[in-house]
Amino acid sequence: MPAIEARRLRKTYKTTRGVFRREKVERVALRGVDLAIEPGELFGVLGPNGAGKTTMTKIFTTLLLPTSGAATVLGLDAVHDQWALRRRIGFVFGGDRGLYWRLSGLDNLRYFADLYRIPPEVTRKRIPALLERLGLAGRERDRVELYSRGMKQRLHLARGLLNDPEVLFLDEPTIGLDPVGARELRVIVRELADAGKTVFLTTHYMFEADAICDRIAVIKGGEIVAEGTPSSIKKVVQDQGVVEFEVVGMPAERVAGLRGLQGVKSVAVVDHELAQVVTIHCSSPADVMTQLGLVLDGMSLEKVSSREPTLEDAYVQLIGESS
Amino acid sequence: MRRLALEVAVFVRSIWLQYVALFQWATINGYIAYKLLLPVTQILFFVELGVYATGRQNALYFALGNALQLTANAGIFGVIATVANERQYGTLPLLLASPANRLVTFLSRAIVNVIDGIATVVVGLVITVILFGLDLHRANLPLLGLCVVVISLTTAGLGLMFGSIGLVMRDAIILANVVYYLLLIVCGINFPVSRLPFVLQLVSYSLPLTRGVQAAREAAAGASIGQVSGLLAGELMIGLLWALGGYALFRILESWARRGGLQEAY
Amino acid sequence: MSLIRAGWRAFVITIRMRVISTWSYLSWLVFPMLFTIVGLYVLSSGGASSSRLVYGVLGGGLIGYWSVAYLDAGNSIQDERWSGTLEQIFATPTPIWVILFGKVCAGLVFGLVSFLPNAALAYFGFHAVLPALDPWKFVISLGVLTLSFFCIALTLAPLFALWRWAFSMLNGFELGVYILCGFMFPIAALASWAQGVAGVLAPTWAVRALYASTVMQGPHDFTLWWLAAIGLSVVYLAGAYFLYGLVEREARVSGELALA
Repeated sequence: MPAIEARRLRKTYKTTRGVFRREKVERVALRGVDLAIEPGELFGVLGPNGAGKTTMTKIFTTLLLPTSGAATVLGLDAVHDQWALRRRIGFVFGGDRGLYWRLSGLDNLRYFADLYRIPPEVTRKRIPALLERLGLAGRERDRVELYSRGMKQRLHLARGLLNDPEVLFLDEPTIGLDPVGARELRVIVRELADAGKTVFLTTHYMFEADAICDRIAVIKGGEIVAEGTPSSIKKVVQDQGVVEFEVVGMPAERVAGLRGLQGVKSVAVVDHELAQVVTIHCSSPADVMTQLGLVLDGMSLEKVSSREPTLEDAYVQLIGESS
Repeated sequence: MRRLALEVAVFVRSIWLQYVALFQWATINGYIAYKLLLPVTQILFFVELGVYATGRQNALYFALGNALQLTANAGIFGVIATVANERQYGTLPLLLASPANRLVTFLSRAIVNVIDGIATVVVGLVITVILFGLDLHRANLPLLGLCVVVISLTTAGLGLMFGSIGLVMRDAIILANVVYYLLLIVCGINFPVSRLPFVLQLVSYSLPLTRGVQAAREAAAGASIGQVSGLLAGELMIGLLWALGGYALFRILESWARRGGLQEAY
Repeated sequence: MSLIRAGWRAFVITIRMRVISTWSYLSWLVFPMLFTIVGLYVLSSGGASSSRLVYGVLGGGLIGYWSVAYLDAGNSIQDERWSGTLEQIFATPTPIWVILFGKVCAGLVFGLVSFLPNAALAYFGFHAVLPALDPWKFVISLGVLTLSFFCIALTLAPLFALWRWAFSMLNGFELGVYILCGFMFPIAALASWAQGVAGVLAPTWAVRALYASTVMQGPHDFTLWWLAAIGLSVVYLAGAYFLYGLVEREARVSGELALA
């Protein structure tokens, strides 16, 4: 039995717009998602903002009802078995909201321990252990408003782990963290999965998913557009290479010229300071390199290189393709 | 001429935008509750209290006083909420650093609240007059209208002071709340100023509302403009003093803030 | 057992948050005293009769008690929405009514304290006293009043969670109750339709009994008033049962809990 399962999961938000002439607007957040995550997996959901990642997380954590379809966690229906389910899962949403800033970290944890209906004798041992584990020991009596972003996020994680959940949902947990804080958090999350917890992680950082996830689903516009291990996702761009260079001033007809070359899949031009960075996805980088001079005759190219595709390239291609 | 019309149009639009921004948090239901339900209930409470204590013949006394006091609601909270919003959205430094004439910036903020204040009083009064069947046939209505406008201006003047304090004090809204209700006590809204201890009477006459409410009551009893001109002039003078004080404070705080002395301002 | 602990912790946390919040001092200490001052001045206008001044002694305290008891739970829902914790507490295995139970009780504690400074102010500032206090009837009436405040607050608090616009509407209700339930003047002076509305509000009856217990002149029918207040309170609780079901469902359909 999968630890987390979604079958044809749909969610539509109904809102009203306008002040005097009310207009009902429907926004589709999920359009029929199918997922099966095995126990002990660290599963990443990767997608741009507004793709439906948070909606999916909230349905699994019983905070939202799906419009149709089924969502089960640990064999429990996320719609009807919410009381039993809430005891067995934990969740952490990114950002520094969601804590009582004027209370100490310890008070925050004690409060939620009681709300999670954990027996006091368990709480007494578990809170110090979590504080130790997440590097908050010694600061637990300080008010949360004095914590750094990283500490707040680790406190969030401690709260999410209070009930020793079998399944942990993390919605963009590293958002807004500095690189060191984000890396620390990723290490902890990987350790949790290694210790046997099922982890459902959403992110819009590909390297994050690449670094720690066992499997990944790429979601866009409320639909899953690819699913598999990081290396199988990279196969989307497997038989491709990437040629990159910098140039100052890149006229449109030259870009079109590049697109016309044989074996070129896509050409992306991104402004970088005064110059433009041109990224060409193609089946044969060597051929493209030799033809660059012809198409871009008279322009001075810098930092010309070819490389293997990364997960980011696969992601960009997947997100770009389905639009 | 066309140029003037254009400038007026720009000014009017900027006031409208300010007004919308002021209440952007509200849905239509919330707005009605905030602008109608709360003020009218407050008037009704004090009118009923006054009628119980002193008799039905005095209903107009309490209705006028409490309706006029509502201008302070728009004047004080409006200005302070504007500053608080700017702080929240991080636009406060932009405002302080903008090369636009700061007096104009400042006043355009106040004017929105003056208009809002007038509307609040008129709606509040009309509802109370209907509910209690108040007799206004002897009243000098144009003069009463003038009193309403004057008081709206003077309470906004007091509001400018609190707007400035709001620049440096995160909890200025709390102070404003206390002052707002203190006005109910010291400005002769529900009982004559003469019943207050002497020290408080001094406070009464250094605040807006006190003279204006007195003038409005006389206008409601049929007084002519000549009979209340002294009161109205005094009311305007007090309002102007508070506004000037507020502006002076604004300039001082602004220069402190620019020298980095006031972290709190941002 | 674990539910009782959760409710108790919500109570303790709410008390602690209120102790460190400047706003809370305004609502249970400063505002009621301002109302008391205005009330006493006005009530002593037409020649001080002690039966009128009673309304000044207890009126401010009643206003303080009611606004804290009623609004604190709702306001703290609003605060939780701002701080992003509303969604977090909603997602725990503790039903939201248990948490609100704790919050409402915390409000009642602060509200009861509110009577003391107001009575002191009335005594020292205006020499106003309760002329013929019957302590037992007074205490029972206060208990019945507490029950009615508790039931109303617990019933209406979930609406704050569900609809953000309810905030101003429910604030208006706070002021309306000052008038309709006779906190500072008897409702006999009100229009008859208003008296009708007042009749279905439990505090009306409890407040009537409370004031009656402080003055001699009758006729007083304490048992009837107490029973009316208790009966209405129970009816509110029945309504609460449905409201909580609605909130549990609606909040999960709209996702409103997360919006700031």
